[in-house]
Amino acid sequence: MVWHIGRKSIQTLFAASFALALTPAIADDFPAEPITIIVNWPAGGGQDTSARLIAEWASKKADVPIVVSNVTGAGGANGIRHAAEADPTGYTIGIMGSSFVARGYLNANATPIGDVSPLVFFGPDPGALEVRADAGINSVEEYIAKLKAEPGSIINGNDAPGGSSHIVASVFESTFGVEMTKVPYQGYAPTVAAIISGEVQSATLPVHQLVDQHKAGDVKILAVAAEARHFLVPDVPTFKELGFDFVAGDWRALFAPNGVPEDRMAYLETLFMETMSDPAFQEAAQKAGFMVTPMPADATKDWILAHDEAVYPILLDAGLVKANMK
Amino acid sequence: MFDVFFASIAHIGSTPSLIGLSLTSVLIGIILGALPGVSSTMALAILLPFSYAMPPESAIIFLIGIFSASVFGGSISAILINIPGTPGAIVTQFDGYPMARSGRAGEALSYALLASTIGGLLGLLVLSVVAPLIAAAAIQFRSPEFAMAAVFGLTMLAYASPGSTFKGVLVGCIGLLIGMVGFDKLTDAPRFDFGTKVLQNGIDIVPLTVGIFGFSEVLINISDRSRGIERLPSFGRILPPIAKIVRLGTTMFRGSMIGAFIGAIPAAGSAIAVALAYTQEQRFSKKPETFGKGAPAGIVAPEAANNACVAGALIPMMTLGVPGDTMTAVLMGALLLHGMRPGPLLFADHPEFVGTVYGSLFFAIGLTLIFGFVAIAMIVQLMKMPRHILMLVIAVLCVYGSFAVRNTMSDVYVMMFFGAVGYCLHMLKLPAAPIAFGLILGPLLEENIRRSLIISRGSWSVFLERPISLILVLLSAAALLYPVFDWWRKRAKQ
Repeated sequence: MVWHIGRKSIQTLFAASFALALTPAIADDFPAEPITIIVNWPAGGGQDTSARLIAEWASKKADVPIVVSNVTGAGGANGIRHAAEADPTGYTIGIMGSSFVARGYLNANATPIGDVSPLVFFGPDPGALEVRADAGINSVEEYIAKLKAEPGSIINGNDAPGGSSHIVASVFESTFGVEMTKVPYQGYAPTVAAIISGEVQSATLPVHQLVDQHKAGDVKILAVAAEARHFLVPDVPTFKELGFDFVAGDWRALFAPNGVPEDRMAYLETLFMETMSDPAFQEAAQKAGFMVTPMPADATKDWILAHDEAVYPILLDAGLVKANMK
Repeated sequence: MFDVFFASIAHIGSTPSLIGLSLTSVLIGIILGALPGVSSTMALAILLPFSYAMPPESAIIFLIGIFSASVFGGSISAILINIPGTPGAIVTQFDGYPMARSGRAGEALSYALLASTIGGLLGLLVLSVVAPLIAAAAIQFRSPEFAMAAVFGLTMLAYASPGSTFKGVLVGCIGLLIGMVGFDKLTDAPRFDFGTKVLQNGIDIVPLTVGIFGFSEVLINISDRSRGIERLPSFGRILPPIAKIVRLGTTMFRGSMIGAFIGAIPAAGSAIAVALAYTQEQRFSKKPETFGKGAPAGIVAPEAANNACVAGALIPMMTLGVPGDTMTAVLMGALLLHGMRPGPLLFADHPEFVGTVYGSLFFAIGLTLIFGFVAIAMIVQLMKMPRHILMLVIAVLCVYGSFAVRNTMSDVYVMMFFGAVGYCLHMLKLPAAPIAFGLILGPLLEENIRRSLIISRGSWSVFLERPISLILVLLSAAALLYPVFDWWRKRAKQ
C-alpha cells in the first residue's frame, strides 16, 4: 500500500464523536483540538471522498485529528450553512463545489457567496460530453449539427437545475446556440445508469464517471471541457483543441466561516496548501480519479467570483435566479 | 466464475488472520447496524479509514463483512424496541415488534437471523451465477418501470390493512403528501416548506419511522399510567419449531428473489425492496389479517429481501461500475482508493478480485449466523431491565438516531412531530405502516412519472410500450379489479 496510516486514524475516528459537540475556547496555540471538515453531500460521493483524503493526509502534518462530518439535505445547502454559521474559531471548516454558487440564486435560504471565506482550492472536476456508442455520433461537430437540424432531438442526462452537470449542459447550449432535451437525475450515479441503459443518448458528466464505459466502447467521450486533457483518458481531446472555446465543470475548494482570526486562517491555508502540494498526496488522489491543482485563498476567491460571473447570466437566462438577483 | 469463488473460500478459510478480520468486521457490523441512526452506509463510511492501511484483499473482506452484518444488526433494534437500526429494517418491525411484545422476542430474532442467512446466501448464489444476466435485465428497469413499480406498490397498499382498506388507503395518502415536502426532485425548487429551513430538508424516511413507531411507543407508555412500572414480557424460547421454519421456505425464497432483483436496479435501495416484499407476502398470505400483529412471514419476507439486496446491489457495481445503492457507493469509493476500478472490464481483467468479493460475502453471512445467535443470547439479559428505564433508553436512542442521519436538528423535530402523529393514530385506531409506504413510494412515483413524460415528450403510451412496464400496469390493474371479479364470480355461483 502507498498509504500508511497508524494510530492517528484511530484517534481520528474516536474524535469524530466529540468534535461537533466541543465548542473550543480560544486557545493560544492553534490547533489544540480536532478540526472538522463539513461535507454537504452524503458519504461515498466525490465531495466526501476528496474531503476524507484531505483530512487523512493533513492530520499527519497538523498533529491534531482532522475529521469529516456529513451534514446533508436541502440540495447541499444545509452543510454549507452549517459550516458558514459555525463559531469562527477555525475548528470547523467546510468543502464546497460549484453547485454552491448556483444554489445561492435558486434558494433564498442558501448561504450567499460573501458569507464564507475561501481557504484553498482542491482541483477541478472537468465536465465532458459523452454519447452512447450506438447513437451514431462520432464528433462534437456531428453532435452540434444534429441539434441545429432538429432542436431538442438529443436527450441529455444531467443533474436537476443548478447542479454541476446541468450547468455544463446549459453552458454548452448557450455557447453553441443549440437546444437539447435536458432530463434531470438525482446525482451522477443515476445519470450513469441512464446513459448505460439507453434512456438518454448523451450526458455532460465529469470525465471519471464514464471512463470504463469509454474504454469498453459502450460510451464515447467526445471531448473534455477543460484547459488540458484528462489524465484518465489521454486519448480524448479538449474542446479547445478542437477549436471550441468551451470550458465548464465542477470544482472543489475548502472554506472557513467569516471572522476566523487572521493567524488561524494563515495556519489553515498553509496546512492545506502543503498537504495538497505533496506529490504523494496527489498520486493517491489521482488513483481515486481526482485532479489536484491547489491554489491559495486569494486565487481561490478570484476563481469563485469568476465562476459566479460566468454562471449568473446562464442561470438568469434559464429562469433559475429566484433570489439574490443582481 | 465458480473456480475463483471456491479458490477464494479456500484461501480465506485457511488463513487465520483473514478469518479473524472477517469475524471482527461482522461483530462491528452487527453492533453498528443495531444502533438506531447508524445506517449500513454510515457504518461503512465511519470505518472506511481503517481499510486504507490494509492490502486490497483484506480491505474487501473487512468492508463487505461490515456491510453484510449491519443489515441483520438493523433488525435487532427494530424487533426489540420498534426503532429501525437501518433503513432496510423499517418493515421488519411491523411484525417483529408485536411478536416481541407478546413474549416471543427470541423467536422473532431467530426468524430474522435465519431469513437473513437464507436471503444472503440466495443473493450470493444469484450474484455468482447470473450476475451479468441480471445486470442486463435490471438496467432495463428505467424511469417508466420505476413509475409503474411504484403504482403496483401503491395498489398493494389497499391490501396492507385487511378489514380496514379505506383507513389504510387514507393513511397511505397522508404518506404520499408528506413525500412532496422539500425540494422538487426534478426542478430543485423548494416547495411546501412554508419558508422554513426545517421543512426544506424534506421528510426523511428514517426520522419518520423512528418517530411514528419508536417515539410514539414512549408516549403511549407515559400516557398509560394504569400499567405502572411493569417488566417487559418474557423473552420466550429462542429457536422457533423447525416445522414452522420449513413452512416459511417459499416466503424466504420469494423475499430473496425480490431483494436480489430490486437490489440490482441502480439507485432503487433496500427500503423499496422490503416494502415490496412485505406487501407481496401479505397479498399471498392465507391469513393476511395476522400481518402487523406478529406474523412470522411478516418478519421473514423483508429480512430475506434486505439481505439478498446486499448481493443484488453488488451486481451493477461489479458488472457495470454503477453502485446499486448508497452502501455500494461507499464501497466503490473505497475500492477506487485502493486502485481497483469496478466496471465492465472487471470480470476479464481481475477475476481474482471478483472471487474475493464472493468469498468475503460468504464468510460474512456464515459468521453473522453464528454470532447472531450469540448476540441473541446476550440480548436476553439486556431485555430484563425495568420498563421505565428501557423507555428512557428508547427516547434517547430516538433523538440520537434521527439526528445522526444527516447531523441536523431538523430531523429531530420531524421525529418528535411524527411521534405525536403516531400517538394520535394509535388513539384513533388507524394503521401507521401505510404512511411509511406512502413516503417511500410517493417520491419514487412522482420523480419517475415526470421524467418518463419528459423523455417520451408528453406521451403516456410510454408506459404501455415497454414490456416490463406493461406487465406492471397489468398486474396493478389485476390487483385493483380482483375484488370485483371475486364478487362477480361468487354471485354467478349463487
